[in-house]
Amino acid sequence: MAVALPLHPRGRRPRSPLTTRQQGYLLAAPALLIMIAIFVYPLAYSFVMSFFQWDLSARSTTFLGLANYADTLTSPSFDQSLRNQIIFSVVSLTTEVVAGMSIALLLNSKLRGLRIARTLLLIPPMIAPAVVGLNFRWLFNTQYGLFDALLRTAGLPPIPWLSDPNWALASVIIADVWQNTPLLVLLFLAGLQSVPQEPLEAAAVDGASAWRTFWEIILPLLRPVIFVALMLRIIDTFRTFDVVWLMTQGGPGGATTLITVNAYLLAFQSVDFGHAAAVSYIALIISLLLMGALYGVPRLWRTSAA
Amino acid sequence: MVARLSRRRILSGSTAAMVASGVAPRLTRAAGDVTEIRALLITGSAVYPKYWETLTQQFKAKTGITVSYDMLAFTPLTSKEVTLGAARSSQYDVYSTHTAQIGSFFNYFEPLNQYFSASELADFHPVAMKYLTDPKTGKLAAIPRNVDARVQYYRKDVYDAHHLQPAKTWDELVTVSQALTGDGHYGLVVPGQGDPAQRTFSDLLWQAGGDWVDDKNLPSFNSAEGIQALTYYRDLIHKYKVVPSDAVTYQWTENTSEFASGAVYDTFNWPSTYAILANPDTSKVVGKWATAPYVRNKTAISCAVSHAMALNSLSKKKDAALEFIKHVVSPDSQMLAFQQFTYFPSRQAVAKSVISSAQGQQAEWLGHLQTTIDNGKEWPKLPGFSKVCTLMYGAIERALSNQMSPADSLNQAAKEAHQAMQQAGAYN
Repeated sequence: MAVALPLHPRGRRPRSPLTTRQQGYLLAAPALLIMIAIFVYPLAYSFVMSFFQWDLSARSTTFLGLANYADTLTSPSFDQSLRNQIIFSVVSLTTEVVAGMSIALLLNSKLRGLRIARTLLLIPPMIAPAVVGLNFRWLFNTQYGLFDALLRTAGLPPIPWLSDPNWALASVIIADVWQNTPLLVLLFLAGLQSVPQEPLEAAAVDGASAWRTFWEIILPLLRPVIFVALMLRIIDTFRTFDVVWLMTQGGPGGATTLITVNAYLLAFQSVDFGHAAAVSYIALIISLLLMGALYGVPRLWRTSAA
Repeated sequence: MVARLSRRRILSGSTAAMVASGVAPRLTRAAGDVTEIRALLITGSAVYPKYWETLTQQFKAKTGITVSYDMLAFTPLTSKEVTLGAARSSQYDVYSTHTAQIGSFFNYFEPLNQYFSASELADFHPVAMKYLTDPKTGKLAAIPRNVDARVQYYRKDVYDAHHLQPAKTWDELVTVSQALTGDGHYGLVVPGQGDPAQRTFSDLLWQAGGDWVDDKNLPSFNSAEGIQALTYYRDLIHKYKVVPSDAVTYQWTENTSEFASGAVYDTFNWPSTYAILANPDTSKVVGKWATAPYVRNKTAISCAVSHAMALNSLSKKKDAALEFIKHVVSPDSQMLAFQQFTYFPSRQAVAKSVISSAQGQQAEWLGHLQTTIDNGKEWPKLPGFSKVCTLMYGAIERALSNQMSPADSLNQAAKEAHQAMQQAGAYN
């Protein structure tokens, strides 16, 4: 039989020499150390790299100051990738938000069969981007692809989806929209279902049209959800790589090279890690600025409303 | 019982077990005195895993050394090697590598000259050795496992039905391909994306009489010959329309599959294509094709490159790793690679033996291949040329997709190439 011994002669826990705050830090230390090892260290390492000529073929590295950043900002390939990135992000986000909201409104109604539709919507975001890229590469193939086969059946000329520079960027955007719109639908749908019924009923009693109800009541109430969705997707569009790489490898002629693809090409094909790191940090700064602006907008609204 | 199962005891017990599980295998290995090396090897077709398994088992039986290896396809393999090289990693002792990227690894791979006798090195094909050697130091960065060059594969049944002969010149290639294009079929297929596009342009550049750099190593690919080469390349797709319009998105896989599916009647392809086209599982045109020499213009030069084996300069098991490399490039292993993959041996003595024992279509093909290799060349291995290659992918694709004229595209690339090579110290 076990005998319970007192923890301390006086029946109290010994007083720790550490304050509560210090104890907290101590307990969090293992997790913080892991975070530093797997997140902060590589980030800091690549930041340092961006100031050096970090060439695999060279035995030593040379400090260049801001030269890699200056080279990047004046390079035609970075110009092109930044332009592509802006078009890709703006068109994808706009399409996804508009389509996502429309589908969410439809799914929020009481039509039959919508439960199946909601379930099906989970499929695209669950597919690996690499698989989406490969599938769309075949769907857009001019000779064997489904889309051009349908166009031919309809008596229309085939579209050079991936070989024409303008269509290639559009094709990549289509693949991205296909995969990510359902995610926004689900977010908006969750938002719509939490909209309080009272203002909607009051609007109905006052005879407000559906459009006015949406514009004046639903949309303002959904604003926080829309901001969260936009933030998630902005981060995502600046990280997009797999779909583009598998569909076009950034081609033809850089027509679909996004910033991530540019960084990859510099690091793994040019073997120029200094410039690749500089490109990555410029992309990070751009996305942080966008985030900051997005955070600032609601605050401005609140200030002006007050 | 309660005391025995206290939290402290459980925690200390499981910690001891974890430590023991980590340490025990090391002790066992040390006690067993088994030497093990690690290798990062190339794969790409269904037979590669079997090939490496055979070689590593043979090696273990011969030396008692276990080769623990990972396999990756060409592009991810290169990316991983670049990452490991940048991190100065000693994780792998042996690497599969290739002429195309060797310039990036001159300071990471151990020079191999000292480990092979002069007579042994002389047996390897000169073109393979030349482009695996650092031009600045004369050090051999890797030893070739096979030599890769391209020949013309054409649909003999279709050509015979049209009373056509395979093209020998650029002009004939257009005429013959035009005669065969139509009805959903194309006379020719060429790749137009990334490294394969650069290889194709490279062949055309040399055949037009141009070169990548001049005597002072300044970019010269935008010369009149370079512009002629890129214009011809673009015209095959857009002016003569004898190549599928999607070719600007094609790499070697698409190039081979277009011919193997029967959609296209002519292609310039690597030795492994021979095995793919002869296999009913991977080809719809078995028995319907033949080979011919690569086309020529002012010259008959085209790319000759090698898959090779390299030793990590940071390896702590260099002797064992070197033994494995020697085993992989041994005459017996090269013979096995030819039998399984139709890879052309890098040892001239083995190549001679393979050619002399071949018969019929295979003998004809090997003859064409030997000619291409004898005329073969590779782009220069100068500092910064890896970046020039990346620039060229974009430049060639821009011309092939009509975003820029060949002249403008090459001139812009030449300007950037000069800057990249200057920054990398090519002119120091």
